[in-house]
Amino acid sequence: MFEAFELMVFFENMIALNNVSVTCGEGKIIGIFGSNSAGKSTFMHAISGIILDIKKKEEMRGGERISVYGRVFFNGKDMSAVRPHNRAKLGIVLCPERRRIFPESSVLENLKIGSYLTGSRETKQNLEYVLDLFPRLKDHLHRQGGFLSGGEQQMLAIGRALMASPKMLLLDEPLLGLSPAYQEIVVNGTKAIRDSKGISIIITEQYARPVMPIIDYGYILENGSSVLMGTREELMDNPDVKSAYFGV
Amino acid sequence: MELVVYGIINSITLSLISLGFTLVYSISRVPNFAHGALYVAGGYLTWVFLNHFLGIPYFLAILLGVIITSAVGAAIYQFILVRIRGMEISEIIATYAIGLAILEGLRWGGLRGGTFVLPAFFPGSVNILGASVDYQRLIIVGAGVLTFIILYLFTRFTKVGLAFRGIAQDERAAMMLGINSDMTAVLSLAIGSALAGLAAILLLPLGNIVVEGGYNVLVFAVAVCVIGGLGSWGGVIVASFIIGFAQILTEYFISAHYQMVVALLAIIITLLVKPSGIFGKQKELEERV
Repeated sequence: MFEAFELMVFFENMIALNNVSVTCGEGKIIGIFGSNSAGKSTFMHAISGIILDIKKKEEMRGGERISVYGRVFFNGKDMSAVRPHNRAKLGIVLCPERRRIFPESSVLENLKIGSYLTGSRETKQNLEYVLDLFPRLKDHLHRQGGFLSGGEQQMLAIGRALMASPKMLLLDEPLLGLSPAYQEIVVNGTKAIRDSKGISIIITEQYARPVMPIIDYGYILENGSSVLMGTREELMDNPDVKSAYFGV
Repeated sequence: MELVVYGIINSITLSLISLGFTLVYSISRVPNFAHGALYVAGGYLTWVFLNHFLGIPYFLAILLGVIITSAVGAAIYQFILVRIRGMEISEIIATYAIGLAILEGLRWGGLRGGTFVLPAFFPGSVNILGASVDYQRLIIVGAGVLTFIILYLFTRFTKVGLAFRGIAQDERAAMMLGINSDMTAVLSLAIGSALAGLAAILLLPLGNIVVEGGYNVLVFAVAVCVIGGLGSWGGVIVASFIIGFAQILTEYFISAHYQMVVALLAIIITLLVKPSGIFGKQKELEERV
């Protein structure tokens, strides 16, 4: 259903993503693990199309030269040249790293802005679903997004992405800076989204341990290349993964 | 008491002038220095429709004037600004150049002297708390308040308005949710220009349509926005009232010539004391980290 084929991204002469191919079937959760600067966010930007916007802005400014190669297929359609807002229209929605919620808008308004693409009936259903999924948001509906705690902001960011009715949800480091309790809420929420709505999910994370139990298939990135891939069991049994990502 | 009445009227006039400038900046981050030119163009177009297409009713001329001004604004973005988006200095130079071209083009085309006058909506005046206020100024106050209310409701309760708010706060995050940033920018310029045209049609019956008006309006709009904090709506209201009353007070106690001095002095003081303005935040840094 989704396939990223031989993605390569260069910032000037520095290679940020080297020949990475990822596939994701319908209703699957794919994990992508790697340390800082492994290329996780660049990968997410490449498949959500944000890289095209970054590239265009850099070009206009006369800044860094960014080159993107490779193809992205979604439901059999080549999306490589589709601009980010149109990719969202087709169902690929990115929940960005460090959340990037709208700080001056209330929680409810954040969710409403997220529902830009959906009709009013769908919006209502989605809103109910999000508030059921993360009941904590219900208590703060009218509080400004910027005043929420990190964990609540993350729930809001995921909720906002869900309001766009995605077919594939991209979660870029959703556990960054969260306490273990919130990590659990977010991880369980992610699994619930897949189980109840059948949305495919690609999730990136530095620490594999909290996410590993819910993924179907995983990739490990190092310095922009995908060095290892496998099902959950294969990855968990691999001695290199154990030492590097589980600290065993 | 007179002072209060005139102060309020002057303040609302200022906020009407600067509303379009703020709207464009807060949504697309384009400092629209062609704002003053669009203001004069809006007034002039209405005058042309009114005097050269005889028999056309006043309100239809107004409607046409506002719509065409708004189309000009959208065209400025669609054909020129889209190429230099994100480079602040180029945006300022380009919009200012367009403004100059429009204003001086109008002057060259014959917009000189005091013969260009829009009629008041209703002639006559009324006495409020000992101050004589003509109906046109009452309409300005009403229209100013109404515009603010409509804009507030528009940005809170309509899909496009909410998209505006999203883009204004975090362009890329909004993009990820399916909001087209170029389209919102075109729309913001169209609405901002329409507001400039609307302000012109409300305010110009009080005087003549002159090219210099465009430069004055630009300076007032920039002054209000700098003092209130660029792109802040609350800032526009507060700053309009500060400058508005300061102007009326200097006019009353010193001389009417000091209006412009007050505005410019206010910019300088703000930049010295609090460069980001009353409600402004320096977002630039935050975004880059």
